Amino acid sequence: MDIVVEQRTVTTIVRITGSVDGLTADTLLATLQQQIDAGNVRLIGDLSGVSYTSSAGLRALLATVKQARQHGGDFRLAAALPPVHKVLEMSGFTSILKMFPDVDLAVASFPA
Amino acid sequence: MTEKKRVALVIGAGSVKCAAALGLWKVLKREGIELDLVVGCSGGSLYATLMALGYDVEECEAMTIAMWNRKITRRRDYASMLGAFLPKLFRFRGYFGMVNGEPLIEALRKPFGEKRFADTKIPLYIVATELLSGQQATLSQGRIVDAVRASIAIPYIWAPWEVDGTLMLDGCLSAPLPVDVAIKEGADVILAMGFESPYPRRIRSATSYAFHVNSIYTNNLFRANYSFHNLAHHAEILPIVPDFGEPVNLFDTHKFAHVIACGERAAEEQVPYLRQLLGIGAPPATPAT
Repeated sequence: MDIVVEQRTVTTIVRITGSVDGLTADTLLATLQQQIDAGNVRLIGDLSGVSYTSSAGLRALLATVKQARQHGGDFRLAAALPPVHKVLEMSGFTSILKMFPDVDLAVASFPA
Repeated sequence: MTEKKRVALVIGAGSVKCAAALGLWKVLKREGIELDLVVGCSGGSLYATLMALGYDVEECEAMTIAMWNRKITRRRDYASMLGAFLPKLFRFRGYFGMVNGEPLIEALRKPFGEKRFADTKIPLYIVATELLSGQQATLSQGRIVDAVRASIAIPYIWAPWEVDGTLMLDGCLSAPLPVDVAIKEGADVILAMGFESPYPRRIRSATSYAFHVNSIYTNNLFRANYSFHNLAHHAEILPIVPDFGEPVNLFDTHKFAHVIACGERAAEEQVPYLRQLLGIGAPPATPAT
């Protein structure tokens, strides 16, 4: 899994490539946690490069959402591919997370 | 020292779509990945049972084609329907099913006969729903044919089935994808093959309306349960969700080959991760012919 972090306006975009699963969840969670610790709590997960997510990956995403919201921000997801979107939907994530078809819309969803 | 991870396969409700589990099983066999337990619900209970009894993929396919066809729904249960719709004239039994259940139980007896849970090669758990209490029932002892019959007692279509003195209905009413059973039985890695019921474009009859309403309930239950299980499990749940690319309905047995191929493809995508997760090396080399 590759993770690239990019700042755009008031948001922090975390571009993830590969699988979000039991082997990569800790790395992803640590990266997202670093951003929250640094005060970057308006987070966007760019999932356009994510091919798969399992329960361990979902738990990492959920932990980040809770942390970001506790600090007054949010963790929003963008550009999930159909198989990943399906798993997010099955797991109830689409009902508690804000999802966007692309990163630009996710960025625009945060007040400037 | 790292302990060997216990691997479970959970096959959810989904009628013919559940045959995708045979594709997954082909992949597991090819890769030399063994299962520590199998859990099945509704249509998934057929495949979970066949696998647990040790039949090979081709035998399972032939058996399900012989078992799951329109013959099992052809005979109507008029006595049951009269009791339901004219209860003052005909006795209502407290439940009903529009289809006579005899051909179904006969079809199930062919592969399962008098086999019992104790006869399985892999521990097997079948999920049904208690009619009166609405509780999920996890069946793991007694005659297999009774457990499967109860697990596939589709509401309004087939009457409930009695197991150990308790009337039981389709497992999809309480646990459309019973991952909880695998968690409870100590599985670490859970392969979860689940299916949501498709919604029709138009509702053309009272029967299809009943099916539709049933699908709404069970699809929402599927998601609610799955959400909780994902967060509650200590290890890993791998969702294996085949993309069939077309609707697969209750008796589309002519689509078996396609369904199995889709299941195989969905499973193959998980193999590299599964191997890493289980800490196992490359599969045994196939001898040159």
